[in-house]
Amino acid sequence: MYEASDSSLMQAVRDGDLGGLAVLFERHHRPLFNYFVHVNGNRELSEDLVQDVFFRMLKYRRTYQPDRSFTAWMYQIARNAHVDSISKRKFEVSLGEREFASTTKMDENLKRKQEVALLKQAMARLPMDKRELLVLSRYQNLKYEEIASILGCDIGAVKVRVYRAVRALGQIYFELAGEKAS
Amino acid sequence: MNCQQARTQFVDYWRGTLEDANGEFDAHLASCDRCRAEAQDLRDLWGTMGQIPEQDPSLGLRVRFYDSLRAWRQQESERRRPFWWLRHPAFQTAGAAALLVLGIGIGFMVRGRDSTEVSQLRGEIYNMRQLVALSLLQQQSASDRLRGVNFAYRVEQPDPQVLSALLTTVNHDPSINVRVAAVDALRNFTDNPIGRKGLVQALAKQDSPVVQIEILDQIVELHDKSAVPEIQFLLSSKSVNPDVRQRAEWALKQLQ
Repeated sequence: MYEASDSSLMQAVRDGDLGGLAVLFERHHRPLFNYFVHVNGNRELSEDLVQDVFFRMLKYRRTYQPDRSFTAWMYQIARNAHVDSISKRKFEVSLGEREFASTTKMDENLKRKQEVALLKQAMARLPMDKRELLVLSRYQNLKYEEIASILGCDIGAVKVRVYRAVRALGQIYFELAGEKAS
Repeated sequence: MNCQQARTQFVDYWRGTLEDANGEFDAHLASCDRCRAEAQDLRDLWGTMGQIPEQDPSLGLRVRFYDSLRAWRQQESERRRPFWWLRHPAFQTAGAAALLVLGIGIGFMVRGRDSTEVSQLRGEIYNMRQLVALSLLQQQSASDRLRGVNFAYRVEQPDPQVLSALLTTVNHDPSINVRVAAVDALRNFTDNPIGRKGLVQALAKQDSPVVQIEILDQIVELHDKSAVPEIQFLLSSKSVNPDVRQRAEWALKQLQ
């Protein structure tokens, strides 16, 4: 069965068919929600931001250019919404660690779960720009071209920056693992 | 391939998207202990990252989204309706300011201008008052609609649209105060047969004794005998309010 592409749906929304936005919402609200949860650690705020992203899409729908990846455009809007929320709320990234604390207590004896919990804590300690880059590349599975478009840099720079972000995450993770082991 | 070049390929290596047709990357890892160890450690970490479970948003997110989308669509369709801007507060403020400027302008000009220009300006003011009255009569807030009724008083040249809006207000406005004010404003339109007929017909549609009494008083004031059957019909109802009944009987006597 024929399924409309994101880009054609967004073009329809741009041209006044707002029903297309409902389809885009159904396709993307969960990944977007997880993007926000990964970068800010706050479920409630993340839901508000998902809502905000879709209404920014409506508001700025006439700026959508079909030759650009819809996903890249959407995450560009998501980044702006996130940055605005930080400036509005002076948000401090501490919730991820709080979440970690409760998670670790639940399953101390399960190695895999412990690793995941440790990783969440390491992610929460990572600087925002690096964390965001990892979320886009690892969790949202965006292509290098799309990340480059969102960040406004070339593909080579994206590869280097993702590598550096993983290395920085690794340093924090192994430090935390060392603290736990000692 | 040196270490720096190899490290830029790490992410592709972890993702499984590395294109290393001539084997340069593999050869470098085989020969460089440091890169090999780093590539391996971080690959495990990359794998662990994939095990952080995805979360589901609450059902409330979907409900809020569809509610907001519906509200947005409604707003859009209202914008597509003609004269939507009449209901916009910015227009109303601008309209009020324009009226003020026009008033001041007329004050200065009326002495030096000939009567044609003055009558043109006067015509513009009438039009503006009609627009403002029509727009205010459609507002959500009862106090705005009352202001609309007040503007309707100032429409010196009775306008069919304003008359129609006032009759709609008399028959359907949820606020008794607004309905009473609108009945009063209909005095301006009593020369118009539609206005007189509309006033009489409104009698039977009212559920508020206050509004009914106001209409009865106005009918008596106009000495409109065509209203007699409507008043008799009102009196035939058993549920009519005693005060209204008394006033209706008095009105019948006055009209005979």
